[in-house]
Amino acid sequence: MTLAKPPRKLILYVAGQTPKSLAAIANLERICAEDLPGQYAVEVIDLRQDPKLAREHGIVAIPTLVRELPIPLRKLIGDLSDTHKVLTNLKLGDGA
Amino acid sequence: MTSASSLDNDLLIADLRHRLAEAEETLRAIRDNEVDALVMRGSQAEEIFTIGGDPDSYRTFMEVMEPGAAALDGSGRVLYANSTLTRLLGTSLAQLQGKVLADALAADTGKEIGQLLGEAHTTRQSREVRFPRGEEVDRHFIVMASPLQFGTTSGHAVTFADVTERVLNEGVEQSEHAARAVIASANEAVLVCDRDGVITHANAAARIVYDGNPIGQVFADIIPLRFRDSTGFLQADDMLAKVIAGTPLRGIEATASKAPKVKDYLISAAPLRIAGDRISGAVVTMVDLSERMAAEKQQNLLTREFDHRVKNILALVVSISARTASNTDTLQAFQKAFSGRIEALAATHTLLLEKSWSSLELRSIVMSELTPFIEATADQVTIEGLNVAITPQTAISFGLIVHELATNAVKYGALSQQGGHITVRAVGRDDGKNGAFVLEWRESGGPRVTPPRTKGVRTRGHHA
Repeated sequence: MTLAKPPRKLILYVAGQTPKSLAAIANLERICAEDLPGQYAVEVIDLRQDPKLAREHGIVAIPTLVRELPIPLRKLIGDLSDTHKVLTNLKLGDGA
Repeated sequence: MTSASSLDNDLLIADLRHRLAEAEETLRAIRDNEVDALVMRGSQAEEIFTIGGDPDSYRTFMEVMEPGAAALDGSGRVLYANSTLTRLLGTSLAQLQGKVLADALAADTGKEIGQLLGEAHTTRQSREVRFPRGEEVDRHFIVMASPLQFGTTSGHAVTFADVTERVLNEGVEQSEHAARAVIASANEAVLVCDRDGVITHANAAARIVYDGNPIGQVFADIIPLRFRDSTGFLQADDMLAKVIAGTPLRGIEATASKAPKVKDYLISAAPLRIAGDRISGAVVTMVDLSERMAAEKQQNLLTREFDHRVKNILALVVSISARTASNTDTLQAFQKAFSGRIEALAATHTLLLEKSWSSLELRSIVMSELTPFIEATADQVTIEGLNVAITPQTAISFGLIVHELATNAVKYGALSQQGGHITVRAVGRDDGKNGAFVLEWRESGGPRVTPPRTKGVRTRGHHA
C-alpha cells in the first residue's frame, strides 16, 4: 500500500511589474526549478488586477510568498533573493 | 470548565503571538526595503500603494526615447526595456522582463555589459559594444549605464545608441586609405575604373601610360590599346566590358599607341568588388614590357650567335682532325698533335671570352700561344708593334698559325735549344694601305735549318 503525496501549493502575491515583484517571480522560478523540481504547484496573484484577493491571506506587504499547503500556512516577505532563507521557511514543519 | 477556558486562553495567546510575529516581520521587511508595494484598506475596498512611485511613469518616458533603453535592478535583471531595445535584441518585453540582461546577449557582448554595470556602481559609464548579428552586418552601440533608484530598488538605467553607420563609415574610410596606399606603392601603372570605364583612381606610375591627370576621363579615350589578334579584343572598351561582366584577365599583351614613354604593356584586369558581390568597376594593371622585349630580343640574338659559333668550331675541329690525321704516322703522334691544336684553339677562345667576344690584339694571341713553351724568366721572345686588333674569327685562325709556328720552334727551331730567340713583329705597317702589314716571325740561335721531308700543316699554313 502506497500513501498519496500530501498536496503542496505556493502562492506568490505581486503588484504588477514593480522591481521587487519581477525579482520575486524570477527568483521563485529559479528556486523551484533548481531546488524543488516538481514539488510545488505555484500560483502568482497580481493584486493590482484584483486587490481584494489580499484578504484571504491577510497580505499587507508585496511581494509575499505564502505556503498554503501543507499546513501550517507560512508567509515569506520580500523578493526571495536569499535562497537559503526561502528553502528553510518552505521546509519548516512540512514533515518532508 | 476551568480546563476548557484555560485551553481557549492558550490558543488565543498562541494566535496573538503568531500575529505579532507576522506584524513584526512585515515591519522589518518594509524597514529593510524588501517590499515595494503595500495593500491599503480604503473606505470601500483594498488598494495597492507602490512605494517610490508608479513604475509606469519611467516606462512611459523610456518608451518615447529614441535610443534603446532598459531599467535594470541591482542584479542586472530587466525591469523594463523599451521597444527599440527589444527589436534590437529580437525578443519581446515579456521574454526579457525579469531575466538578467547579460544572459540574453551573445557571450562576449553580455560580458562587456556586465563589466560596464560593475564600473557604473556610483557614476555614469559608457563604452562601445559590438552586437554580432550572425550573417548580417554586426551592429555597434555606445552603451551608457547610470546608477538609478527605482522606488526601493537600486539599479541602473542603460541606454543603447546605435553608431553602426559611423563605425562602418570609418571602416570604409580605413579600407579606402589602405587601398589607396596599396595602389600608390605599386611599381606598375594601376588604374581603377567605374562601370562606365571612367577612371576614378590612378597611381603615380600611371604617368607612363598617360601624361596628365587621368581621373574623371574615359579609359579607352585616353589610353587606346591595340591588342594581339589572339585576344579577340579590338580596343580597350572590349577588355573593360568583359572584366566588368565578371571575367578577370591576366597577361594580355597590348600596345598603347598614345603612351608618352613606353608602347608595349602586359595588362591584367580584375573586377572591382567594394561591397558584396556587385561589381563596381575594374582594376587595370599595366606592366612595362619594353625591357622584357629587349631582353628577349637580345636572348634570341645570343642564341643564334651561339649556334653559329658552335657550328664554326665543330667545322674547324673536323678540319684540324683531318689535317692532323693526314700528317701523322701513328695514333700517338695524332693524339699529341691534335690535342695541342685543340688546346691552342681553346686558348684563343679563352682570350675571346675575357673580351666578351670583341676584337683581340695580335700581341695577346702570340703571348697566349707561346706561354706554354717558354720559361717565365727567360728572355726568349721579343714582340714588336703588334698592338693591332683583329676580329674574333681571324683571331681563331691566327691563334692556330702561331701554335704551329711555336710547336715547330720547340721541335726544330729556336726553342729547341738553349740561347734560341724568337722575334715577332709587324713590318711595313706604316706604309701599308688600310693598315696592311707583314707579320714577321724570325727565329735565331737555333740549329741549322734543313728542308722538311714531308709538307705538314705549318708549310701549308705559310703558303696559304
